[in-house]
Amino acid sequence: MNKQKLIVIGAVAAGTKAASKAKRENPDLDVKIFTKEEHISYAGCGLPYYIGGIIKEKNELVVRTPEIFKKEQDIDIFIKHEVTKVDVNSKKVFVTNLDTQEQLSYEYDKLVLAMGASPIKPPLENISLKNIFTLRSVTDAFEIRDLVDAGKVQKAVVVGGGFIGLEVAENLKHRGVEVTLIELAPHVLPPFDEEIALLAQAHMKDKGVNIITSEKVLGFEGNGEFVSKVKSTAGDFEADIVVLSIGVRPNVKIAAEAGIELGTTGAIKVDKYMQTNVGDVFAVGDCAENVNLVTNLPAWYPMGSTSNKTGRIAGNNVVNTEHMDSLEGVLGTTIVKLFDMNAAKTGLSERDARKAGMNIETILVPATDKAHYYPGNKPIITKLIVERSTHKILGAEIIGSGIVDKPIDIIATAMTLNARVEDLTKLDLAYAPPFSMAMSSTIMAANVMLNKLNSKIDTITSRDLQEKLKDSQVNIVDVREEEECFISAIPGTLNIPLNTLSERSGEIDKSKETVILVCKVGKRAFLAYLKLKQQGFENIKVLEGGINAYPYNVE
Amino acid sequence: MADKHINARGLQCPGPIVELFKVAKAAESGDVITIEVTDCGFSKDINAWCKKTGNELVSLEETDGVIHAVIKKS
Repeated sequence: MNKQKLIVIGAVAAGTKAASKAKRENPDLDVKIFTKEEHISYAGCGLPYYIGGIIKEKNELVVRTPEIFKKEQDIDIFIKHEVTKVDVNSKKVFVTNLDTQEQLSYEYDKLVLAMGASPIKPPLENISLKNIFTLRSVTDAFEIRDLVDAGKVQKAVVVGGGFIGLEVAENLKHRGVEVTLIELAPHVLPPFDEEIALLAQAHMKDKGVNIITSEKVLGFEGNGEFVSKVKSTAGDFEADIVVLSIGVRPNVKIAAEAGIELGTTGAIKVDKYMQTNVGDVFAVGDCAENVNLVTNLPAWYPMGSTSNKTGRIAGNNVVNTEHMDSLEGVLGTTIVKLFDMNAAKTGLSERDARKAGMNIETILVPATDKAHYYPGNKPIITKLIVERSTHKILGAEIIGSGIVDKPIDIIATAMTLNARVEDLTKLDLAYAPPFSMAMSSTIMAANVMLNKLNSKIDTITSRDLQEKLKDSQVNIVDVREEEECFISAIPGTLNIPLNTLSERSGEIDKSKETVILVCKVGKRAFLAYLKLKQQGFENIKVLEGGINAYPYNVE
Repeated sequence: MADKHINARGLQCPGPIVELFKVAKAAESGDVITIEVTDCGFSKDINAWCKKTGNELVSLEETDGVIHAVIKKS
């Protein structure tokens, strides 16, 4: 009997995962992987850290080699072999050996598309100058690191303030390079809500990265064949290297040409079994579309965590056609480290939810990652986004110098199981002082959210306050001690320390629309809120997150 | 010139900064104040405080969860 043949196109995370899983499920399977790249199975997400020297060796980036795949798993990987065409009728792929230009063709019984995504390189003036990079492949990282190691990089410009751009900026800064980052959007970390993203942005600036937002790169100037200057709407910036990180697009060309259907996001449309519209053809990883678990709508999350999962599922399904595995969707959970700050996100942002027309409530709650009296505890801020009618959790964002991966994973897990905010408050989470607060940050945030949903407290976000400050229709009362207000306060603040509030509340203009109580994390503000309510103040709001989470102008 | 030491370990905000104000007020120009704090928000505060008061932040270190700041009064 002829062996069943599996062909996989692409050999980074999803492709090699699919091939390995399929081979484990059916050791008799004939498995071939084609990739036009030289390197396979590499840690794409680790590339910025190789530039920074945190990952020291080239070998650490390349997880496995074709020789290992052959020896350990009997999988044939053809590097520098580009698949130029797929014929789904005759079930054949057409391949060019990039070294010899030899044209080959191979038959398949099952085909897995794992072509990944490519960085966007816009047609700007002089974009083909040398030392203008994107950072997607191992080769890109090697070239950038070699230039830095050789002392040839004093100034760098990073274009785009997404995860990769920020990580590259940090790593270049660690190497002593003067870094300017230019972002088109009003703030870095575009998927995050503004008030969270601005905290990350301020931290990057504190660490010496020159961040320019709401400005556009227009083109480049060269010194000979090498880039020397970036021209932008904010003026010119000298640069020995430029790293473009303005996003990626799914590699779908050969799929589209073969008549395989694309989804609304532009990535390959798949069902929950990772099957395309064409029989025996699967798509996985960055070239395939996902479903957002919250909205149940098509979405595209080109991320390593999702790639590995979809690869494994397709690997199972090409073999076990009677017992298929499936993935209902993903939340788009992400996390990033920026110098001493960590930021994570899952589900919808407030902006996403409002754009989708949902009736939502949000809250921002500061806390610490460990008991506040345990040495080394660090602050984190949790933002929750909840549907008002059902109390279903729609999304969360967490930022701070403390541990954020645990709480975001708790919330992502709860969301996957369709939790309501009440469910979060009841979770029995591990506690001892070195690990958590007795009421963990997540439970605390959920409790404050419930207080807000049940009208026990009224709050205002820093962004809304910022708007109200413009027409100064608002009293700002800061209930911290005089010494704290001296250090930093929102302009125009009336300082009445909490313990003098009962006597001095007459100083507050009751006729004005809103009174906002600002304290460091919001706890004293809540006490002051209750006190003023008792004294007959009706229109009071607490500033969410207190002054610590206030990303706008203070003096 | 005198060396002054503040043990603000275990105090939560606003304790450490209030203590520092008190000691700094009573200090003479050139006096060196050392303060030890476990409240994690203090690093940010001390930078801003020194900028505002014009006092010199000689050093700021964190070891084993204890922030150690040395300030010279201007």
